[in-house]
Amino acid sequence: MVTPDYFSDLGVRPFINAIGPYSSLGGAEMWPEVIEAMDYAIKNKARMTDLHDAVGRRIAELTGAEAAMVTAGATCAIILGTAACITMGDEEKMDRLPDTSGMPNEVIILKSQRYLYDRSIRAPGATLVEAETAADIRAAINANTAMLFYLLNRPDDTAVAIPEYVAIAKEHGVPIMCDAATTVPPIANLKSTVAAGFDLICYSGGKGLRGPYSAGLLLGRPDLIQIARRNGSPNHRAYGRSMKVAPEEYLGMMVAVEKSMTFDEDAEYERQLAIVSAMGRNLSAMQGVDTVTRTPGVEAREPYIEVHWDAELYKTTPAEVKQALRDGDPSIEIRALFLSDGQVHLTATMLKEGEASIVTAGLKSILLASAYNQ
Amino acid sequence: MTYRRTILKGLASILPLGLLGDSAVCAKETPGKAPGRDYYRELGVKPFINAAGAYSALGGARMRPQVVDAMRYAATRKVKMRELHDAVGKRIAELVGSEAAMVTAGATAAMVLGTAACMTLGDEEKMRQLPDTTGIRNEIIIQKKHRYTYDRALTVASGRLIEVESEEDVRRAVNARTAMMFFLKPTHIGDNIPADQYVTLARELGVPSFCDAATTTPPGSNVVAGVSDGFDLICYSGGKGLRGPYSAGLLLGREHLVRYARQNGAPNDISIGRGMKVSSEEYLGMLVALETSLSVSEEADFAYKRERFSLIIEQIADLPGVTARVFVSGSETNELYLDIDWDTGIIKLDRQQFIDALRAETPAVEVRLLLFSGGRIHLSATVMDDGQDVIAGQVIRKVLLEHS
Repeated sequence: MVTPDYFSDLGVRPFINAIGPYSSLGGAEMWPEVIEAMDYAIKNKARMTDLHDAVGRRIAELTGAEAAMVTAGATCAIILGTAACITMGDEEKMDRLPDTSGMPNEVIILKSQRYLYDRSIRAPGATLVEAETAADIRAAINANTAMLFYLLNRPDDTAVAIPEYVAIAKEHGVPIMCDAATTVPPIANLKSTVAAGFDLICYSGGKGLRGPYSAGLLLGRPDLIQIARRNGSPNHRAYGRSMKVAPEEYLGMMVAVEKSMTFDEDAEYERQLAIVSAMGRNLSAMQGVDTVTRTPGVEAREPYIEVHWDAELYKTTPAEVKQALRDGDPSIEIRALFLSDGQVHLTATMLKEGEASIVTAGLKSILLASAYNQ
Repeated sequence: MTYRRTILKGLASILPLGLLGDSAVCAKETPGKAPGRDYYRELGVKPFINAAGAYSALGGARMRPQVVDAMRYAATRKVKMRELHDAVGKRIAELVGSEAAMVTAGATAAMVLGTAACMTLGDEEKMRQLPDTTGIRNEIIIQKKHRYTYDRALTVASGRLIEVESEEDVRRAVNARTAMMFFLKPTHIGDNIPADQYVTLARELGVPSFCDAATTTPPGSNVVAGVSDGFDLICYSGGKGLRGPYSAGLLLGREHLVRYARQNGAPNDISIGRGMKVSSEEYLGMLVALETSLSVSEEADFAYKRERFSLIIEQIADLPGVTARVFVSGSETNELYLDIDWDTGIIKLDRQQFIDALRAETPAVEVRLLLFSGGRIHLSATVMDDGQDVIAGQVIRKVLLEHS
């Protein structure tokens, strides 16, 4: 079979990704082993329950979690986990979500950890209760509390340390969920987060773990995972029936975890560092341009360069440069300015062979054009 | 045919059942390529032959080779999701004759997003606020005869179902809080207000109409016919009759409503449907599934299924008291089934025991649930691979013989 060039036929343009594995850009490059496993699952049918049981057990073994399930992404994991904590497996309640009348539906969240995706906690009918200190959390817990929520690796999350937060949850017998969606690599983070004592942990599958785009992980307590599964597909009347996970995604996710655990991350890090450093040297050779190489250690471990230029020489702003790169041919995507403190950032995670020099050449010509346009 | 029959019978008598099962059920290797891992064996997942149909719990449909090929293409080529969604949506709309189209994470997701679209009508504040419906219209009109398992999807975004039985009921029920009028196909389910009257009424009352036609394929041409009924939104399952990706579906209809539905779904971060992600390979795969479904003939599909059935029948035709008959079922959806029956005076097995016994074999064979087959034993060849037919026939033969 000759594969048509679908994207070209559809007029969908290829682009250079110098930003990273974002959902809106199609996520990460899957491991070849993941694609192979997906092929296998497409060819070989299994009963979904059998597959879910077996893959769940295997992922739990690999990660050290008590139980595990594959979800339709990290958001889906948050939704199903929250639904589990609200309903605790009561059939009648599960059938009624997002109507949570007569159910504990309050989720306690640190004010400093409010973020874009806390929206999904509300999807199955929870209300968010903000707290700022350990004392606040204790005072906020009542008979209506369904869950405590923790967002991992938020730079300003020092208000309550993890061990204390987990201890408060245990003390009051309230389940605690951790959103760790973007915290791998390094994969070591996964094991240490599992060991931290959270009742539920959510991961994105199609980003740092390089699994299928619309897949994620929910790890944690066997009873809660069981209930989260009942709130999801393929159960007909489940709140989460719409968040379907294909068998190939289920198996692909397992292989992505396996592969991530044995992969030489340091070598990959060095590879990326070499690329961004070379881009930095290339750009700073230009008069009035300066680059800084950043190597963040805590959050998702991804080296990048920050590009600065003399505003007297080059009359353009980072926002204009970002737009000009996007409009260029080929189109180049760089990190959103609200995530980069307004600076131009370049990463190498998703760059393919030969693309780094296209990015630097594109950036240089945009800067030069601004100098001549004065 | 005679020659082939001899070969197959010969093969069956030489090889022990289990061995034949494993080699034929597990991954077929591409010539020249090293055999890959056998994941299911590693995991202890029992192989099974799906003679029941394209049910979600059994892994959905057998994707067409063109679909698998398109998915592989998209898996290794990254594009911007919005561009892909725009381009594929446009192409699907052209193919089916709707104003607009989107690929969803399945028919249920299409229902959730369509409902959310009709409730919020593009108001960003309201989209953010869901499922809290304070100040948001959320009443959904549904005919009493159309209440069913999956109307659950209408309440996921906080819709409230209002049951009606007549046109007068609808007129009385419509008010400022009415968001949508819902209709369920296929028509054999029955209704008090038929589709054309319902669509006209919805237009007159200025309420968006939505039709769940999830299970009304094959043939693929039913999608085009469904769109021409004039509902403002209509949804289809992708991983069943259209033989597209398992977690994919279609939402078709009016341009503004499809646009609102997209806003309520992934990858939009503030949407209630952010959890219903659709990968780029599923997006493209769904398009190719639809294209292929519209271009293949139903006769070719039927011929494929008839061949599977005849190979099963060959395995059991000589058993005393056993009858096997192929028949076509359905009104707008045509499905071919194999009905198997036996004289319980000779074979001491009731139908449920037979189903349980098939399940206990290795490989297991799943047939349609008695609930769906009017209490009879029905096999479907929709999800059956070439080669699984003979094995299924042997398993059935073994079970029947053991109880003779």
